[in-house]
Amino acid sequence: MEQARNYVCTECASAVPSGHKFCGACGAGVPTEAQTLETRFFGALQMPGKARLIVVRGDEAMGEGLSYILQATEHVAGREADQIPFPSDNWLSPSHANFLYRGEKLVVRDEGSLNGVYIRIRSASPIQIGDHFMCGQQLFRIDATPKDTSGPEADQTHFYSSPRRPSAFRVTQILEGGMDGIVCCAYEQSLQIGREDCDINFPDDVHMSPRHARVEMSGESLELVDENSQNGTYVRIRGERELSHGDYLFLGRNLLRVEVTA
Amino acid sequence: MIVCSRCSKDNQDHYKFCLGCGAELPRESSKPRSFSAPTPPGGTPAPGRETNAPQGLQVQGSQAEALASAPQLELDPMPVEAARSKPVAVEDPLPPELAPLGDETSPCPHCGSQVPANFRFCHVCGDDLHAEAAAAPTGDAPAERVSPPAVAEAPQPAAGRARLVLIQPDGSEGESFPLSAGSSLIGRATGGIFANDAYLSPEHAEFRFEGDQLVVKDMESLNGVYIRIEPEVPVELFDGSIFRVGQEILRFEGPVAPDPADDGTQYMGSPHRGYLGRISLMIGRQTTGNSFPIPPHGIHLGRERGDVVFPEDGYVSGLHCRVNSEVGHVFLTDVGSSNGTFVRVSNESYVPQGTFVLIGQQLFRAEY
Repeated sequence: MEQARNYVCTECASAVPSGHKFCGACGAGVPTEAQTLETRFFGALQMPGKARLIVVRGDEAMGEGLSYILQATEHVAGREADQIPFPSDNWLSPSHANFLYRGEKLVVRDEGSLNGVYIRIRSASPIQIGDHFMCGQQLFRIDATPKDTSGPEADQTHFYSSPRRPSAFRVTQILEGGMDGIVCCAYEQSLQIGREDCDINFPDDVHMSPRHARVEMSGESLELVDENSQNGTYVRIRGERELSHGDYLFLGRNLLRVEVTA
Repeated sequence: MIVCSRCSKDNQDHYKFCLGCGAELPRESSKPRSFSAPTPPGGTPAPGRETNAPQGLQVQGSQAEALASAPQLELDPMPVEAARSKPVAVEDPLPPELAPLGDETSPCPHCGSQVPANFRFCHVCGDDLHAEAAAAPTGDAPAERVSPPAVAEAPQPAAGRARLVLIQPDGSEGESFPLSAGSSLIGRATGGIFANDAYLSPEHAEFRFEGDQLVVKDMESLNGVYIRIEPEVPVELFDGSIFRVGQEILRFEGPVAPDPADDGTQYMGSPHRGYLGRISLMIGRQTTGNSFPIPPHGIHLGRERGDVVFPEDGYVSGLHCRVNSEVGHVFLTDVGSSNGTFVRVSNESYVPQGTFVLIGQQLFRAEY
């Protein structure tokens, strides 16, 4: 005794091979459910190519550990967003960032937010004057060395300037509220940031590693290097950035991890 | 780097004790620069602060060569670098309070114990020896001066004898510039002792008397007029106030923040610890270099101690001055530095008798 291996016509009891729309023996139609049989996932989380965002550190109201499955084509995150809301984080613009698919790829786009979207760099990343980055709880901006304004007057009076040394660039700390904090001019080509014994030190920042990151100029280009810090170094994206599995993002105070199933 | 002879650990040059085993490190190698750093381009030891010597005799002659370099400044576009690269004479590697026990002792006025001369407090009864020393009248100083003897003998009221006495690189007194009873304009165009100072504007400052008080007015000069502040007397700082510590020109900047965005979003940033403002190093007319925010409990500035350090400026004392807040205002206080803390005059200021005034590259004492 064996079980029939295919769909069996309900009119004439003949076996109908898969893919046929009509019974070959009696011409009766095969129901559409039977025609389009395919294996489904138990849950949407298993769907290939679909990503989710996990809130690693979040907004008090929304809680940590929450995950958002990115099933649609666009997913807006923000203080007043419907899809990925962070209502109690006033560092987020009402509509802050958009997670969208471009073909198979997930990208994040800054929706013109005030404070931007930060992505954790993997070891090293090129960086430009004017870029912002984060280490621990600290936010920084890279500035160019200002034009020298210490030349003599037309009447040949010399300007008395504090002693200074050649510096390729400088790093400015940005304080909550937008005021500039520490400014540190690089000693020649490189500047080190960390908790202690660096060029800029944050002894009371518990999220900062002792030697956290450094900015280096080689030739004409700047590079931001994470020195295997525990919590990573994040750089503000310009416009749009492709995401891959394991990326970390800061949106305001919220830290998100990107998971993309293969 | 100093290698400890006991445990072989490498220690930084300014350490006095080994980081690894606590052994005292050889002092010879721990004196990259003089502590007593007497005279930067302007500056003398604090009156009655670290020694009891009369004020006028305190200037120790060592690296005031920087001052002597004033004449050559005219030809030198980067005189600051020149002054810095000059080897700094090392006379006394330790400030008096840190110096090892000397042979000299004197009896404590309170309990009679023999106290080493460099102690500020009696090690037996804790009596403040320094208080006694400070109580000694420093106002007698003019009587001790010998140059020129005819003029300095007795204090005289205001005009006629009023003058600016040049304090020379070696600490001795140089030429004087007489101040008239009316007003005296000084600057590079005045000639004489001012002619060769490239840091003076042609018309730099004006001195005049208001009653028996001397007043200096900055004639919108490029580099300004600086007045030395008294140790331990707080002077209020306002947004844009400029002061000088060693060779460093610093500006106080009050807290400024951009207006918040219309949609209620706040600017993200590093934790704001209630900063009172910042101090910034001036490296150009309106250009600043490094800056440091001032937390509510204030900051100390020094060459090797404090929150903001200037390890390469030998004219800054180990611990030099403090910026802190009291009753909602921000104050600058010299904490007994050797070379003093100078505040740039905003428009005009009284100049009490005996005040040190820094004009261009030269230091003067106002006498009247």
